[in-house]
Amino acid sequence: MIRHLFTLIWNRKRSNFLLMAEILLSFFVLFVVSVLLVSNYYNYRQPMGFSPDNVWEFDVDPGQDTTDRKATLRLLVQELQATPGVAAVTWTSSNTPFSFSNMNTDQFRYKDKKASLTEQYDADDDMVRVLNQKVVAGRWFDHRDDASTHHPVVINQKFAEDMFGGEAAVGKVLTNDKHDEQWQVVGVIEAYRSGNDFAANEPAIFNRRVLQDTARVGNNEQPILLVRVLPGSGAVLEQQLVRKIKQVTKGWDANVNTLEENRHDKMKFMLTPLIALGLVGLFLIINVALGLFGVLWYNINQRKSEIGLRRALGATSNGISRQFLGEMFVVTTLGVVGGLVLAMQFPLLGVFGFATPIYLTAMLLATILIFLLTAICAFQPSRIAAAIQPAVSLREE
Amino acid sequence: MENMLTQTAARPLTNDNPLTATNQPVIQLRDIEKVYQTKTIETVALNRVNLTINKGEFVSIMGPSGCGKSTLLSIIGLLDEPTSGVIELDGRPVQSYSDKELAYLRNQKIGFVFQSYHLINDLSVLDNVELPLLYRSGVGGKERRERAYAALDKVGLSARTNHFPSQLSGGQRQRVAIARALAGRPEIILADEPTGNLDSVMGEEIMDLLLSLNQQEGTTIVMVTHDEQQAHKTQRLIRFFDGSQVS
Repeated sequence: MIRHLFTLIWNRKRSNFLLMAEILLSFFVLFVVSVLLVSNYYNYRQPMGFSPDNVWEFDVDPGQDTTDRKATLRLLVQELQATPGVAAVTWTSSNTPFSFSNMNTDQFRYKDKKASLTEQYDADDDMVRVLNQKVVAGRWFDHRDDASTHHPVVINQKFAEDMFGGEAAVGKVLTNDKHDEQWQVVGVIEAYRSGNDFAANEPAIFNRRVLQDTARVGNNEQPILLVRVLPGSGAVLEQQLVRKIKQVTKGWDANVNTLEENRHDKMKFMLTPLIALGLVGLFLIINVALGLFGVLWYNINQRKSEIGLRRALGATSNGISRQFLGEMFVVTTLGVVGGLVLAMQFPLLGVFGFATPIYLTAMLLATILIFLLTAICAFQPSRIAAAIQPAVSLREE
Repeated sequence: MENMLTQTAARPLTNDNPLTATNQPVIQLRDIEKVYQTKTIETVALNRVNLTINKGEFVSIMGPSGCGKSTLLSIIGLLDEPTSGVIELDGRPVQSYSDKELAYLRNQKIGFVFQSYHLINDLSVLDNVELPLLYRSGVGGKERRERAYAALDKVGLSARTNHFPSQLSGGQRQRVAIARALAGRPEIILADEPTGNLDSVMGEEIMDLLLSLNQQEGTTIVMVTHDEQQAHKTQRLIRFFDGSQVS
């Protein structure tokens, strides 16, 4: 029977061609959407590398006050750290977790190897306590780095793997293009996906920058503080900290958000295009489904006498239903095979730059979806075909 | 045409010239009624039809259009159910049979030949002839091919196996349809106006083929026809009028 189905479809190749093309294109679109969904899901499942819970972000605005900001900031950090309910305070660059700001560079070299685009962060000695980052090799910054001859840096595992392969990263010295600056790796953290929940685990590097370091800290620094508070802290502590900021800084403004709030806002921002893409995909699938349904319905009406003949020759009504489903299965398989050939080019050519398993998962997902879609679309018409009275359909011609 | 079944000259139908018929009933219809009902109209297509057809008999059914001939053939062929009455095939009533059992009987026992041939245009002649064997379990691909070739050989179309129906004349198409019926080696052939779409020469050719099948293979044939001359070549002529058997 399978050979018969293939013969029938081959002999009707002209009329089946458009159907196959429609399935191929639908598969391809589903594949692309699946790649994006799978990659986002894959990223979502990766460790963030830090814990944003109970961390508050204070964006402090000195306004027109230009008098020794560094000294004020040092005092502010000390005062906040001394406040009951505060576990740790870190002063950091503007690319805080879930912010819309990022800094990246490709300046780093190790021997002759150039680093790919790397996310860059400023961090002081307390960031590890505030964000609970997991150090997997070496250590985080501390007072031992005060006397370092190279700039101390902490990198994430992704950077270490990309740059040093299987070699131990701690102690390695990085340079720039001109070899006039050097950075020494003092520690490796597990990961740092600070952009959003769907952000990929990109290479990341942390530069040590402490308020005491007058060489690296200017007077116009925008103070951004991350404060880890004890669990259960709420509005009372928040007001207390804001009051303390105003008191210490003599009138600087402070805007407070929890990292969880920032995460939620960023999630909404990231989900909007994904939902839009999903809706476009869904709309397309509905259109394809209606198209397939219509074509199959039309086919069955065109083939009523053939159905009657097959019943007369010994086909059962279920056999007729199975035949139509089988034909659709064969047409879908041919369309999907064409789609898979196209889809295979993505990992081979590295089109989106994702890992091969993401493409393979997306291919599997798109294949399942397209077979499910065609099965659903073919089900009702095939039942209609099965219900056709042979005596009536044979007389109709 | 060289391998075609030996052509049989038309012989006058007489009671003492029963050709291959036996007295063993193969089809029995008792009080068959078929009523088509819509919301407003009730149409009686068959009215208490009683008919026995013996094994090896060649019966023709005649009557004006709309008198119920084709309905009768559909009921005998298990393609349609009567509103009331009993149908027996080989002495067994078939009303209570499931869809699967009826399909099995159609496939094993009955071959159909239609006025408009009902060939599948997208299949080659050989594939068309193989079709009934496709629904028969235990018949492999090789055997299907061999039986299809043999059937086409019988109707003189062994040189046209790879042609498509659109490449054949009307007479050739009907011979393919007969080969398709033969491939399943049925005991009964039901032919619904098999020469209706053919000119007289082609019609004669097909009629001779059916007669040969009846005489040489002993196949029971029930043929609906409008052609009085051809009907008289068969062993028995049954006339219908307004759903009732009149002779």
